[in-house]
Amino acid sequence: MSDVLEPFFFAVFALGVIGAGACVVTLRRITAQALLMALTFASMAGMFLLLGAETIALFQVLIYVGAITILILFGVMFTKQDDRGYGLFFQRQTPWAAAVTLVIAVPVAFLAFSFKDPITPSPKGGDLIPLAASLFTDYAFPFEIASVLLLAALVGAIVLVKRDEQ
Amino acid sequence: MPVGPFGIDPVIWAALRLIIAVGLAVFLVLNGALAQIFLERKIQAVMQDRLGPYHTGPFGLLQTFADAIKLIGKEDIRAKLTDAPFFLAAPAIVFSPMLASFVVIPFGPDFVGANLNVGLLYLTTLGSMTVLGIVIAGWASNNKYSLMGGLRSAGQLISYEVPQILALVTVVLYVGSLSMVDITKSQPGLLVNALILPFAFVTYLIAALAETNRNPFDLPEAESELVAGFLTEYSGMRWAIFFLSEYGEVTVVSAIMATLWFGGWHGPGVDALPVLGILWFTLKTYAFVLLFMWIRATLPRLRIDQLMGFCWKVLIPLALVNIMASAVIILAFADPRLPLAAVNWLLVGGLVFGLPFTQRRRLLGFRKRTRESVAMRDVRLSP
Repeated sequence: MSDVLEPFFFAVFALGVIGAGACVVTLRRITAQALLMALTFASMAGMFLLLGAETIALFQVLIYVGAITILILFGVMFTKQDDRGYGLFFQRQTPWAAAVTLVIAVPVAFLAFSFKDPITPSPKGGDLIPLAASLFTDYAFPFEIASVLLLAALVGAIVLVKRDEQ
Repeated sequence: MPVGPFGIDPVIWAALRLIIAVGLAVFLVLNGALAQIFLERKIQAVMQDRLGPYHTGPFGLLQTFADAIKLIGKEDIRAKLTDAPFFLAAPAIVFSPMLASFVVIPFGPDFVGANLNVGLLYLTTLGSMTVLGIVIAGWASNNKYSLMGGLRSAGQLISYEVPQILALVTVVLYVGSLSMVDITKSQPGLLVNALILPFAFVTYLIAALAETNRNPFDLPEAESELVAGFLTEYSGMRWAIFFLSEYGEVTVVSAIMATLWFGGWHGPGVDALPVLGILWFTLKTYAFVLLFMWIRATLPRLRIDQLMGFCWKVLIPLALVNIMASAVIILAFADPRLPLAAVNWLLVGGLVFGLPFTQRRRLLGFRKRTRESVAMRDVRLSP
């Protein structure tokens, strides 16, 4: 049964990622864009689920849908809603953007179509304990770097919002 | 031809199982909400020396049914300048994560929808999605009070998610599993996690109150300040769905507390009769639901700066200390229960006895400012 369902769900999630992503770029309403971005993140989480990496999928939803989208919406709500009569889509940067996109898209497409299904190694995102072990042994250094970066951002945020003591 | 359970074809059984599961979850939520609303009215009435509902049916039991029918029968009103798609989607976005949470809750031995190995993470994730719906509801209503409610809710829920997750991490460190079933099985006797990790429990209880928008943390829908917050523009069944999800959310949070800290379905006679586990689990869950109602009837609402200050300056630092201490103890001792309990009870004591001291300092400062302003006024008034 999974032979039928898996391509179906893959199609749904792919449509979610690509369609919502395209709408984020082309739509003119900023709140709708933020919410569609949440849909993109959620569809991405669905992709992770299909790959058998439910831990990563859940973290994707927890962090991107649950936290980052909320922060974006938080920011959007504090901005004015009226002066948004124009989109940024049709403007003069289009040729440059197209050129840059082509440079990236052509190799990606080439790679995608020349991809032969190898003997797929079992994806390692699903099991929590191997994931945690690899995070704290093989990838301990990047993990620590990321945590230091986050700490710096945290301290920076506190410094930025601190009131001046006269 | 392969034959599944009850002699039904497996392909049909899969679909049938899905329908039964969804039906059961909806049934549970609806009944739970009806029962909880009735209990809430009756208990608050008793606490406030009133009678509560008593006209409709025996003991007023049918009052909530009458209310439900009234809500279903109401006209579906939508103000013209609301943002239609988001206004309509918001109740569903709040309701569906709550409904999905019921999948991993272990009601009894073998009575669990799915024993996910990341069950607790799944519950946390779904809990964090509720915020999205509330924020959208607040924004799409195109109403200042709704927007304020949505913004408050975003700030509050994101802040209190941190101590909530930190509290869960302590339990996960101790038990060594994220699966709800494993956590239940790890505390078979009287020595439940609440006795070993009381501070994590207290942290979670406070954060859960805030996450479910209950008193004293119901700032997003504070009637005296914001009309009804993000619910202002909603009426009829849409409004009811928000309330259903709030009560469902309370049930889920109570179920998490019962599972993580009070042994879930464990209780006398469960080994002989597994169905008894459902009874114990329900009793434990509803004990917390009642505790929430008690708190609601007792405590006044916090101010928004007190709310944030308490979360970031008190709960999160103490929860971080607790995690660090717990991690070290669990690594250092072969049987970490006694030192863990010692540290946790110490932290609980610190929280309970430390709060009056900090409050006293604040109170003294407040009195000093009041005296100064009164003195200033006297100076101004004196000829």
